Amino acid sequence: MSTTTLVLLLVLVGVLTYLYRYAMIGLFASRSLPAWLHALCRHIAPASFAALTASGLFVAGGEVVFAFDTPRPWAALAAVLVAWRTRNVLATIGAGMAALYLLKLLFPT
Amino acid sequence: MVQIPTSAGGEFLAGCRDEAPLLLGVAPFGMIYGIAALAAGVPAWVAQLASAIVFAGAAQLVIVQMLAAGAGFIPIALTSGLLNLRHVLYSASMAEYVRHLPRRWRLLLAYVLTDEAYAVAVLRYQQRHAAAADATADLRHWYFLGAGFTLWAGWQLSTAAGLLFGATIPPEWELDFAVPLTFIALLTLLLRERAGQAAALVAGLGALAFAALPYKLGLVAAIVLGLAAGAWAVRRLEPVR
Repeated sequence: MSTTTLVLLLVLVGVLTYLYRYAMIGLFASRSLPAWLHALCRHIAPASFAALTASGLFVAGGEVVFAFDTPRPWAALAAVLVAWRTRNVLATIGAGMAALYLLKLLFPT
Repeated sequence: MVQIPTSAGGEFLAGCRDEAPLLLGVAPFGMIYGIAALAAGVPAWVAQLASAIVFAGAAQLVIVQMLAAGAGFIPIALTSGLLNLRHVLYSASMAEYVRHLPRRWRLLLAYVLTDEAYAVAVLRYQQRHAAAADATADLRHWYFLGAGFTLWAGWQLSTAAGLLFGATIPPEWELDFAVPLTFIALLTLLLRERAGQAAALVAGLGALAFAALPYKLGLVAAIVLGLAAGAWAVRRLEPVR
């Protein structure tokens, strides 16, 4: 993607996000949020993060690749365990990176 | 009882002070974003510009990861447009407190209405409400602005720090891996209820099933399918109230 296209994309996302933020305090200040939109919003974050995590770990060049002979899936597994036990975001990121470095040290390619 | 300032400047500074501790949690994401943006080939000035005009951490991380994966304009716009839709919820929650303000104030406050500023400002509005409906002029929008400004400044500075730091670290450190790790951490926090779990499971599997779609459109399809699964699960698991 060219830099110009990227800037256009960011402006589009920025304007859209601003309109979301202004929507209920400005554009539709006299109305309440429709129930269906409220329900939809609840699941957007889990669905997005799950799709991006799965894609980031197991999709490469448009193909599904379960690269269990490389460190990243295992480091991600360590992060999942720490996230589940601690429910702490920074501890999760720290544990995942530490596991990645440890695995790279133990099994150099 | 927290002392309640009675001047606009006092409210603004109180908002800054109460928002400041949250910067400890926000700054690492700003840095991860800056580092990952450089790793994805985004020019530093564009990455900094994004922090100013998009000003939404999760969406910025999503954009960077999708760029790194070679996604196209439309899939990135649709995914981040969907992800940011939750800001409508914050907007709705703040509406009752800011509805009376002049338009210029509401236009300004909308710009700083993020997850973290909302969390702090809404406490202030509820606290004062419970304390006393006294006759003094309501200056709490200055508090909201102080909290929002502090978060904004922290986000810009941590982005800049990530961009400066990211330019000096070798790719072998694989700091871009912090982005999927962040998604794992946030996802774990969000998976409290069955319907959300169904949405996440279907979206995750969908991302693999549609991996071959061009321009990463498979991600958009997966998220939409996940939302459908979530809606279905709500109807299935929570019978008529």
